[in-house]
Amino acid sequence: MRKLFRFIPPLRAILPGISYRAILLGVAHICAFTSLLAATYTPDNLPIPYLQDKTQYVSNPDGILSQATVDSLNLWLGKMESSHGIQTVLAVVERIEGGEAYDFCMALGRKYGIGSKEQNTGLIILLATEDRVYYILTGRGLEGTLPDAICKRIENNQMVPYLREGEWDEAMLNTVQAITSYTDGDDSLVGHSDFINDEDREIIDAFFTGLMYFLLGFGIILLSMWYDKYKKSYCPSCKKHKMKKVSEKTTTDRRLGVYHHHATYRCSNCQFIKEIHWDEHIDRGGSSSSSSLGGGFFSGGGSSFSGSSFGGHFGGGSFGGGGAGGRF
Amino acid sequence: MKKSTTYLIIAAVVILCGFYGCNTYNGFVSQDENVSRAWADVEAQYQRRADLIPNLVNTVKGYAAHESETLQAVVNARTKATQITVDPTNLTPEKLAEYQAAQGEVSQALGRLLAITENYPDLKANQQFSELQAQLEGTENRIAESRRLFNEAAQQYNVAVRRFPANLIANMFGFGVKGNFKAETGAEKAPEVQF
Repeated sequence: MRKLFRFIPPLRAILPGISYRAILLGVAHICAFTSLLAATYTPDNLPIPYLQDKTQYVSNPDGILSQATVDSLNLWLGKMESSHGIQTVLAVVERIEGGEAYDFCMALGRKYGIGSKEQNTGLIILLATEDRVYYILTGRGLEGTLPDAICKRIENNQMVPYLREGEWDEAMLNTVQAITSYTDGDDSLVGHSDFINDEDREIIDAFFTGLMYFLLGFGIILLSMWYDKYKKSYCPSCKKHKMKKVSEKTTTDRRLGVYHHHATYRCSNCQFIKEIHWDEHIDRGGSSSSSSLGGGFFSGGGSSFSGSSFGGHFGGGSFGGGGAGGRF
Repeated sequence: MKKSTTYLIIAAVVILCGFYGCNTYNGFVSQDENVSRAWADVEAQYQRRADLIPNLVNTVKGYAAHESETLQAVVNARTKATQITVDPTNLTPEKLAEYQAAQGEVSQALGRLLAITENYPDLKANQQFSELQAQLEGTENRIAESRRLFNEAAQQYNVAVRRFPANLIANMFGFGVKGNFKAETGAEKAPEVQF
């Protein structure tokens, strides 16, 4: 750092009167500006407009595509989602970290779970203009409609000729148009899904497991209560369990602060009579054997319940590694 | 403590152990099924690659007939690999290593074949070959992804089966440890391309 200071006196000679502070500020600004220019995107920091506005499928943070192109693409991709359930992320950037389009697309797909969970119809189209790589990544459910060979064919015929000329708009428009021609002809893709969400299923499972344990605990308590009664019904005279409570009297003695309980038991077999007398403090309630079981069975659950009408959310589809890509 | 209370406690403990055993066993079963499903996926992707090879060999033969050695090597490796079948209930580390080695030989033979196709610009310009190559690359990607998912499933299963006290139940019912895919030996060295 100190070696850099050597350059400051000559600078002061060129621009007399400039302060050290101004120089530092100037250098800082230049550094910030150049880093903005060469923004390298990772799957984590790539902006995804779909999350804020579900009509925006195109991520164009470096402004490479024109607004007209972005609008057309959004229109087509929106139609693809409503009629075929295909969720797309189309990203055109200058640089991606690592320069490997396939790895970037797979990481993006894993991160957001693009495409519906039942059909796995996610589609990621990536173009990095400075790194000169492109990739079309298809979700597992799309591999039948858009097999690798077709993706390669689309890329060779519709994308690469324009990429070589630097006509990014044309390349993207033609590519998406070609893709829609393949997806429109396929009836196996449905626009809506009526399956039970996986998250709902988990809640139902958790509920039943909790219920099972609750019933188990309840059963054990009932069992112990019956056993207690069984023991109490033992008759010492005829050795059978036939004692029953005949009467119970409770008197209150406020001076001592106790209830006096007086209960009479009689054996239905040998008519043997037993009398029990016990005291109970006024303040203490009866011993409650019921512990507080359960509570909190419904843990978490459902980001599926948060669905604003403006921002989109991805269905959780998975990618198997299909698709094709290359360099130009 | 009275004898009756002791009996009650013992009964409760036995019931709880029974429930624990049931739950753990069922957990093993679902983990095992996960592993089997992931394995089926891996096999499907390898099969897909095996299915692409005859087409590839024929296309290359049309342009590079005197590379018959390399072509034959690919065909042989493929035949050998398709003969090794692994039963999903028997995914021991040894069996898996054997399977991986056979498929690794196919990968090597394929790699050599694709390396020599660099010498034939006519072949490379062929649309069909370009699409075949894309399919192969896509399949290799899929293989890698399915192996990754299989390793994850196998690891989850292994952790569940080896933990104490669950491993007692696992041993009782014969839930063994599953193998998983190792990184290819020699993958650190890129294949040499000689011109």
